[in-house]
Amino acid sequence: MSVTAVIFLTFVGLLVIGSPITLSLGAAAMGGMIFSGKPLEGLVEIAYTSVNSFPIMALPAFILSGALMESAGISRRLVAVAEAMAGPFTGGMAASTVLSCLFFGAISGSGPATTAAVGMLMIPAMVRHGYDKGYAGAITSSSGGLGVVIPPSIPMVIYGVAASQSIADLFIAGFIPGVMLAVGLLGMNYIRSKQKKYKGDGKELSVKTVMETMKDGFWALLTPVIILGGIYTGFFTPTEAAIVSIFYTLFVGIFIYKELELKGAMKALESTTWITGRVLIIMFTALAFGQLLTINKIPDLIAQGLLNLTDNLYMIWALIIFFLLFMGMFMETLATIMLVTPVLLPVMISLGVDPIHFGVVLVCCCEIGFATPPLGENMFIASGVANATLEEISVNALPFVFVSILVVFLIAYIPSLTLWLPELLNNLFQ
Amino acid sequence: MRPKPILKFLDNIESYICQILLVFFVCLLFLQIVLRIVFTAIDSLSHYISFLELYPLPASLPWGEELSRFAFVWFVFFGATYAARLAAHNRVTFQFKIFPKIVGDISTFIADIVWIIFNCIMVYYSINVIKEGFEFREYSPTLDWIMAYVFMIFPIAFSLMNIRIIQVNVMKYILKIEIEDVDKVDTSNPDDETPESGVTS
Repeated sequence: MSVTAVIFLTFVGLLVIGSPITLSLGAAAMGGMIFSGKPLEGLVEIAYTSVNSFPIMALPAFILSGALMESAGISRRLVAVAEAMAGPFTGGMAASTVLSCLFFGAISGSGPATTAAVGMLMIPAMVRHGYDKGYAGAITSSSGGLGVVIPPSIPMVIYGVAASQSIADLFIAGFIPGVMLAVGLLGMNYIRSKQKKYKGDGKELSVKTVMETMKDGFWALLTPVIILGGIYTGFFTPTEAAIVSIFYTLFVGIFIYKELELKGAMKALESTTWITGRVLIIMFTALAFGQLLTINKIPDLIAQGLLNLTDNLYMIWALIIFFLLFMGMFMETLATIMLVTPVLLPVMISLGVDPIHFGVVLVCCCEIGFATPPLGENMFIASGVANATLEEISVNALPFVFVSILVVFLIAYIPSLTLWLPELLNNLFQ
Repeated sequence: MRPKPILKFLDNIESYICQILLVFFVCLLFLQIVLRIVFTAIDSLSHYISFLELYPLPASLPWGEELSRFAFVWFVFFGATYAARLAAHNRVTFQFKIFPKIVGDISTFIADIVWIIFNCIMVYYSINVIKEGFEFREYSPTLDWIMAYVFMIFPIAFSLMNIRIIQVNVMKYILKIEIEDVDKVDTSNPDDETPESGVTS
């Protein structure tokens, strides 16, 4: 039996018996190291180096600021702006949901958090306006994923660290794909709403109401400007931007909107602790796992296997996208990224793909994974809020998943969609 | 009824430590940013005011980043043990849906035993690394701390995690306490009180 077999059998075996993902990866790495006679002290070193990094500190900071924004009343105001803009059109409430997720994505880096924040406000509103609750849940869980494609993005932080790529560049690169996904979802929503005869919310589209909501939401709308502006101009690193956004949210929530209470802030702190803990301990075991795979030349084997199958880059992209979508159905998002990056990134680089481009496609695939059963984090949240079964939501989500996959193929096949903007901005702010 | 508050405190101790560490490094990093901006401002002023040139300023607190990273490492591993207490570590469990509940229970129980063994091995080797670290001392670049102290988190966290894994299994199978799904809480109304399940309740 080879080391490779030991690693993969332990990993899959433990995963199947329901052990935590972090243990499956860690025990597989440990087994492989014991089998190949490597000292296990190395594992302790990896545990330290895996999290002893400045860029990765953006993760708890973005989680904390996202949790605070909810209690601070920022999310509510963003939703109000979106509703005033998109409400009057056909399927307007659902369209406002997509737009809200787009806005919220620009301040939050998490898909489930976006789904929860927007869904808690929009799903009940949609149901009140006569939308099917399965449909309301489906549009929310499908567009909630925009939170991770539109910068800032927690999965992009993880990818940037795992692949040693510039997180700021990834953030810029995600912008156009995120907007494309939103446009795709809006288009599909328009078609579906026509079929289902969902009308607008009955209000007239007026510049005045839009301006009024924007005025009320001014400080909320300023948040993405500060976070993204700070990162793109090179004034802040992503980690610093996340820290600044925490204090900005505290300031707005306490002094301007006066909605942030101690209880909400404490709850945000508490949930940040365990969410970060459980994600970043996977970082440690995934890094150990990945290093062992690299030492045993698994990525080379996979690259060879792929090239034996076909040497057409478009075919390889298609294979990889379907593989990632399949993984996304069963695996937790960040774990997927940490697992596939060390294996697939070298393969893609050897085929001449830009690491930033690959990262964006990877994150987009994970975005779809949020809304595909059996494990779709956004779906779980949407089904809880909408009081609809997973089946009802999955069926209604199919057209949205389909259009998202189409967009991902576009993004994969046309690299300049992702790479043009970072290049432009980097030239601008040199 | 005296021991209840103490037990409740012990039940959440990692959470409290974590929250303190989180607030600490977030504030420290913010201070770093503020100081950086202030220092650069003074630095650019010093071209005009000769008095300021007498006191050359660093970019920011020289040891700030390192200290915040150390706090962060401790935060992550305490957070992981707190996540173990909440039974929040992600598992793949949909395959159990087609079997009776007992299959999933036994199977995750076996998985937890493997987890405990894994943690024990980690404790053993991290103690080895620490012992070595005191023999051949390695110092951190700016704070000049002995690195072995920073590594102390590993034996602490991995043994605490074992205690929490055992605690969760005792709660589940012996005390028959329903462990709530923490991921579900996010969907509830933020104003709702989340019921806390202490050891003794």
